[in-house]
Amino acid sequence: MEAGVKLAFDILAFSSIMVLVVAGLAVIASLMGIFNLGHGEFVLLGAYTVYVFRELGLPEWMGILMAPFFLAALGLVIEASVIRRLYAAPIIAMLATYAIGLIIREIVRGLIGGQYYAIDEPISGTFEIGGVSLPIWRAVIIVVTLTVMVACYLFLTRTTFGLQIRGSLENPALARASGVSTTRLYAFTFAFGAALAGLAGAMMVPLFSLSADLGVRFLVQAFLSVMLGGVGTFEGPIIGSAILGAMVPGFQWLREIPFVVDYVSPVFAEVLVFVTALTIVKLRPQGLISQGRI
Amino acid sequence: MANDRLSGARDRGVSRRSFLLGASALSAAGWVAGFSGGWVLRPKWAHAAGPIKMGIATDITGAIAPGGNANWQTAQFTVQKINDAGGILGRPIELILEDTASDPGIAVGNVRRLIQRHEVDVVLGGITSAMREAIKNPIVRRGKTLYIYPQLYEGQECTEHLYCTGPTPAQQCAELLPFLIKQGNKRFAMPSANYRWPQLLNKWARDVIEANGGEVVFEEYYPLDQLEYSATVAKIMNENVDHVFNTVIPPGLQAFTKQLYEAGFHSKGGTLSCVYYDENAVNYVAARELEGVYSCLDFFHTVEDPFGQQLVADYNKMFPDTKFLFTAGSAATGMYRGIKLYEQAVIETKGDLDREAVSAAIDKASIAEGPGGPAKMVPGTGHVAMNMYVAQSKGGKWNVISKAGMVAPDECA
Repeated sequence: MEAGVKLAFDILAFSSIMVLVVAGLAVIASLMGIFNLGHGEFVLLGAYTVYVFRELGLPEWMGILMAPFFLAALGLVIEASVIRRLYAAPIIAMLATYAIGLIIREIVRGLIGGQYYAIDEPISGTFEIGGVSLPIWRAVIIVVTLTVMVACYLFLTRTTFGLQIRGSLENPALARASGVSTTRLYAFTFAFGAALAGLAGAMMVPLFSLSADLGVRFLVQAFLSVMLGGVGTFEGPIIGSAILGAMVPGFQWLREIPFVVDYVSPVFAEVLVFVTALTIVKLRPQGLISQGRI
Repeated sequence: MANDRLSGARDRGVSRRSFLLGASALSAAGWVAGFSGGWVLRPKWAHAAGPIKMGIATDITGAIAPGGNANWQTAQFTVQKINDAGGILGRPIELILEDTASDPGIAVGNVRRLIQRHEVDVVLGGITSAMREAIKNPIVRRGKTLYIYPQLYEGQECTEHLYCTGPTPAQQCAELLPFLIKQGNKRFAMPSANYRWPQLLNKWARDVIEANGGEVVFEEYYPLDQLEYSATVAKIMNENVDHVFNTVIPPGLQAFTKQLYEAGFHSKGGTLSCVYYDENAVNYVAARELEGVYSCLDFFHTVEDPFGQQLVADYNKMFPDTKFLFTAGSAATGMYRGIKLYEQAVIETKGDLDREAVSAAIDKASIAEGPGGPAKMVPGTGHVAMNMYVAQSKGGKWNVISKAGMVAPDECA
């Protein structure tokens, strides 16, 4: 029972982190057809914002609140200056985002001297469920992720703006003919994706630590999540990332089974995550969800 | 006239040096991706025979940059001290830096330049074992040059003309583990990053633990960037582990120590040790997770030794507000020791810089003073006997608990 609660919580917590990271990437990929290879660095900048606030003597929670806004502003600037010019050439756009990511990563590395920094969570400590003590901050991440996902869903399905986004996703030319400014919409989407990345980075940095390579660590898994879930929908990548996020701690727990432990090393468990994900992608190349349903 | 020329040369030297410092700070900060020609730090004065050329091959950029820059600054600091005191037998030392960029592939080409273009007399540097492996060939074998490796490491490096001036597993384990077992820790867990250093260190550690009546509950290796340790932490808690002998490294480290702390390991009386933790640890491990943790190194800033404390003070004066501290974990102590041992060897050969001669002399060299105390090369082994200190972190400081005098490296015997 105890182990069950602990396992469920750990899986939920890591899944939530993955979902937060992937959401921004998925929004941009689905709507604009651009794989943002700089997404990991947007996550990094979200984390870095918290660090800057701390260095300025301001509380960490303020940094976490401000990170999405800061990243949204940066997203607007990058969209207007670089991405907008490259919609016709998605591959080049992808390379451009890679370059932007590289620049951001190396600047941050310079600013923090290549070191690792521990950042305290705004709410530390543990709480108890069923005799198991669980860390509060991970619970906060779970709640925030659920809230953000529900809000995104409602926004996309219930608002006019959401309708316009879905319309442009379905048929950009028709949307433009109907008087929807896709330029404005794309700019907004890119900023929104960046903001989600910023939130993800800010929320998770207390669990890990700030280093220049924080975002890179998640990028490959994030892309695999999008592949797993299917491009072109909102909920596909979200489900994909939830599954991938669950496999990461889940497969490590396999080693608690007496017989399995002799065969599965921690390194092998990590490899198994990718093997499983790629097998699913192979069996369902269209993704878990193949059509836009919202 | 002569005076004018001298002062002119001095001015140039100074401006070059300040330029160099600025540039190295820039490149240290990652702004310069790598430099093709390397940097030269010329002494302020000349000698008829020319300067002694000392090559530094270290990671100025990339993931290992914090350690590499601490090394480079220590080299500048130590060489300036020697040059200010009149050089080695009147000859000044010229420093030549090549960035190994935390990438063994890049390093091989850059290091070759030290040998071929600059024809250095000795090379010091390398932080990771992968880097040592990559650069020892171009230096020692093909380059026929003396090489000094300054970092604490996993041992078993017995190449001729290669001298290791950092602590070995024997030195780090011999004092710490029996001490921990005497404290009442019986059941040990060994979570580790999956590479050579933890694997070989753990082999030593396991022997020492079992010889002293302790027990290893598990020894596991994780991918270096694993971020999720709930299963490991659960095992530590369920198996009633007393002590975690940690060799997980960043970036995995922070997630692991946090999950272990949150699971209540520390509050239930569990203890942890990590033999690369030094004065930098407060930056990358949260204060509450570091409290009470043990380390064992050849130097801590808190070691009561006027010479060592003066060294740290002088270093901080030369590099005010630096992020790259003079610490044992980032090989600064090994770098200082290496340069001073080389100095002693060259004095012994009466200025002969030939590799065979210097190598024969450094094999028996010793220094009376250094960070943490004296150091003595154990003849025929290429490793150094030195004082080792067990320390415990309390309120952000390392409290030295015990000192073991001139511990033998126990390598290559």
